Amino acid sequence: MWTGTRAIAEAVKLADVDVIAAYPIRPYTGVMNSLAKMLADGEFAAEIIGADSEHSQFEIVKHASAVGARTFVGSSGVGLAYAAEPIIVTSLGQLPVVAMAGCRALDDPGNFGMEWNDVLAFRDHGWLMSWARDPQEALDMILVAYRVSEDSRVLLPSFVAVDGAAITHISAPVEPPSKDGVAKFLPPYKPPYPLDPAYGPVTKAQHIAPSLIGPELRKVVENSMAKASEVIREAWKAYAGFVGREYPPFIESKYVEDAEVVLVTMGAYSKDAMHVAEKLREQGIKVGVIRIRYFRPFPDKELAEALKKAKVVGVVDFSYSFGSAGSSSVLFNEVRSALYESGSRPLFMDFMFVGGREPSVEHFERAIMLLQEAAERGAVEKHVWWLTLRGEDL
Amino acid sequence: MSERPLIRSIRDVPSVDLYTSGHRTCAGCGAALGYRLLLKAAGPSTVVLGPTGCMYVANGHQFLSSPYSVPWYHTQLGAGGAAGVGTAAAFRVLMMKGKRRKEDVNVVVYGGDGGTGDIGLSGLSMAMGYDYKRFLYVLYDNESYANTGIQASSTTPWGASTTFTPVGKIKRIGNARMKKNVALIIAAHPGVRYVATATLHPLLDFINKAKKALEADGPAFIHLLVPCPKGWFTDPKYTVDLSKSALETGLWVSWEYENGEFSLSYRPEPRKHVKEYLRMQKRFEHLTDDKIEEIERMTIKEWSYWKEMDKQKKIILPWVAPPWPAS
Amino acid sequence: MELNVKSVIPEYDQLNWVIIHGRGVLNTGHAGTFARTLATSGVLSGRESYYYMRYDDSPERDNIPMIFYTVIGNPKIDVTLHEEVEPVGEVFSAIVVMEPTILVSQTSQRALLFDGAKKDAVLVVNTSLSPKEVIRLVKKRCLAQDWCGKLVAIRAREYDTNIAFPLLAALTKAWNSVSLDDLLDALDSTGQGNKTGLVRRVYSEVEPVDVRINAKETAMAQTRKSIPSCKFKKGAWDLKTYRSYQKATAEALSYLERIKAMPSWQALSPGLIEFGPPSNEKNVGFTTSFARYLRPTIDKNKCTDCKMCSHYCPDGAIDFNRIEVDWNYCKGCGICARVCPTKAISMVSELLAAEGLTEKEIAAIEEALVEYGY
Repeated sequence: MWTGTRAIAEAVKLADVDVIAAYPIRPYTGVMNSLAKMLADGEFAAEIIGADSEHSQFEIVKHASAVGARTFVGSSGVGLAYAAEPIIVTSLGQLPVVAMAGCRALDDPGNFGMEWNDVLAFRDHGWLMSWARDPQEALDMILVAYRVSEDSRVLLPSFVAVDGAAITHISAPVEPPSKDGVAKFLPPYKPPYPLDPAYGPVTKAQHIAPSLIGPELRKVVENSMAKASEVIREAWKAYAGFVGREYPPFIESKYVEDAEVVLVTMGAYSKDAMHVAEKLREQGIKVGVIRIRYFRPFPDKELAEALKKAKVVGVVDFSYSFGSAGSSSVLFNEVRSALYESGSRPLFMDFMFVGGREPSVEHFERAIMLLQEAAERGAVEKHVWWLTLRGEDL
Repeated sequence: MSERPLIRSIRDVPSVDLYTSGHRTCAGCGAALGYRLLLKAAGPSTVVLGPTGCMYVANGHQFLSSPYSVPWYHTQLGAGGAAGVGTAAAFRVLMMKGKRRKEDVNVVVYGGDGGTGDIGLSGLSMAMGYDYKRFLYVLYDNESYANTGIQASSTTPWGASTTFTPVGKIKRIGNARMKKNVALIIAAHPGVRYVATATLHPLLDFINKAKKALEADGPAFIHLLVPCPKGWFTDPKYTVDLSKSALETGLWVSWEYENGEFSLSYRPEPRKHVKEYLRMQKRFEHLTDDKIEEIERMTIKEWSYWKEMDKQKKIILPWVAPPWPAS
Repeated sequence: MELNVKSVIPEYDQLNWVIIHGRGVLNTGHAGTFARTLATSGVLSGRESYYYMRYDDSPERDNIPMIFYTVIGNPKIDVTLHEEVEPVGEVFSAIVVMEPTILVSQTSQRALLFDGAKKDAVLVVNTSLSPKEVIRLVKKRCLAQDWCGKLVAIRAREYDTNIAFPLLAALTKAWNSVSLDDLLDALDSTGQGNKTGLVRRVYSEVEPVDVRINAKETAMAQTRKSIPSCKFKKGAWDLKTYRSYQKATAEALSYLERIKAMPSWQALSPGLIEFGPPSNEKNVGFTTSFARYLRPTIDKNKCTDCKMCSHYCPDGAIDFNRIEVDWNYCKGCGICARVCPTKAISMVSELLAAEGLTEKEIAAIEEALVEYGY
């Protein structure tokens, strides 16, 4: 029985990570506590460095990765915000760092509740991003992240996001794969141009003149991200082969084949969504649920295919995007944008759960009923709903 | 671990340049000369981290152009310490795990005063708290944020004109802050084995300090004064003269602190009046004679501490009352 | 289906584009004054006008050539001006050179001085050289196309320590896009009215010279013809491939050629990777002879082979064994002359050394470290 943080620590150990950089912030700290203890007990060997800040923390692993070390790092909330500079530079510099994001509401004020904005803030810079639904999948995602990130066709860093409190702190049954299996699944990390005198005088990330080479460098990143989809698919297939536990690579769909209304979400609360959907189906409501696993690269094709029968799509979104079109939220905007070019182009509703107040099963039931009403009416009256907001009955 | 002997003669300074010709630095750039000398001391088994600054932008700024004959990686302005630690940690663990052959690899960070003394001080402090050997951070101090066009940093001396501390109709002092002594701050870190200050002259002094630093049993730090023709408003040809004058007037103190023992590398006896140094630089041209005398008085006072330190072989924090309020 | 629409791409050559070359720090203040005042003239004469330093030259570095632009519309400027105008085609209707050694070398963009110039461009040079000497240099070093325009060679320092004002007057005399009245109005409106007398005087005294040079007469046109276009194979991104790209772009004789020789994105590896030179070589990707207006001469009779000059050169331009200067990299900073214990090194004018021409401005340049920034 492991919490999400402990499960991730076990994955890091299985991956024989070389350099870890730590800095405490709730709710991800547990992973570093676990790793420190494992190292103190000699369960595996790595350098673990307590940094002076998250900025230094993410810098440490970026540079260790350039030399050729397999690295692990993580943070939450404003800690991630503090690390913004190296986070962005790591993906633009194409280093395969693997990081855990323990999703937490951003300050101000201080708030230990769960929100996705802390890691979503970095969605544009080239990090692969995936959301786990439970400690088991968190462990699995970390291992697959090393394989995908370090693949020479990709060489982009990965964020594995776990919902704070829901996954980080609740212990659940987790089955770790065998050490030998992982050793076969994960080839050793061999950067193509290690920053090492044994290799030669590599000069990395010099200042450039954009007229000479600006857009070309961005294109290389885009190309790597485009290649990532195929590598992700291969990796999960190989993973299923040896752990005997299978996941669809990009999205997990339930009941969408005949669904008129569909909830789309990520992370731990997909469990509630699927439970409520199952119950309402028994009463004849044709509701389906989609759990997005990879936010980057965004699975637009897979979503369009899964949603082709849907009349109304409700996005369950633990983020905000103040001032965006319709004053909506990040995941909502991505899903709606992805469906714009699809043949079906369903109606959309946004169910925002922000401020860290956790939704309960009632909220999912209400959301599905609202979708159903809209489907019957053939129109959406109000697009954005804050169902956990006090007084939101109107 | 082999002890490399110190270099006794200038003719024995390695001729191979690992920071070689072909960079877009100012004519007479002190920081570039410092880089060149540093890498001569470090040798080919070295990885260099270059925080943003003049020694990043001026050495690149194109594409298909690199003057670094050793592995070199950019890092962020305030990330020099962390970059060094990450690099050193990787080498240590890869060698320990047998993923890479065991050998001595130097990790050298060459960062400016803005990036090191200001935004990167926290990361530098962290780096100095760990036990990586062959780990040297050299702060090249041109006494400003030079690359962005000469703005005051915490090591800009009192009275200097910069674009953030310009001399105007009302404000006549220029920079009103006192120069921060980063080397003394680092010397207070218990794990640091070697701290030194140096400048470009005499060049054997800096080169040998760099060699000693890399042989130390833990992290090392050198604060290197590098005259800057653009920022100091001096003719490029006087860059080395200025280093000499800084030492001779006592405005730059060259010392070493090795395993807790302090020693001065140079005693200006007799010490020249500070005006010989200050009047060479147009960034001080607005200073009236009484302000120059103020600086002379502060220098004399400060030197009483340095002499005492040299006598006792211990660090005593120099304290000179700042001339505030500045006008 | 083909659209039958005529291209509306605005022609840069309809703008009045002035390119101002100077040396970083030495000339930045004056170049800024020049560019600003000229742009103000444009505005006051009813035309949309802008001025700026070439962004890639910022921050400017001591001695390294830098460029300012002033653009005066016709009367509007319908395009976004970007900070790097590739010197191709015919864009510049006036070229101003604030420090004459630039005639002997390359511009900041490592291009020829006349790259991107209109055939009838006006050239204004701050120099004590005669127009005849300037034309000879242009034919030899700066031009690879026809030039049928005007030249003003003026020793600006004779008139004012701020060379911007004499040069503005000189340009106005030779160039028909800005009148003397526009310039005088600009001086008045920018608080520089005390310079109007000086400007009038210079205007009346300078004599622009008509110049007619055929491309065939230029040395550069011939050199360019004889170098074949760059050819290289695409391959894995490794040191060998990198060096071939490096050589091709470094040897490119025009900005356009350099851009063409740059790798496409498919050739690049992920991770912003370049390769430094092997330890016994220098950076062939970037030479810095263009920074030099003084050059060291070593008297081997006085030299004791102490190696000080070699070690103290920030650019590593003095060979350790032979104590000889590598002219590809020497910037003429003068440190070597200062540290030599036997005073065996003296700094001489680059113009004198390279072309046998005496430039009386050198001493004045040395004292010119006045304002920087703009």
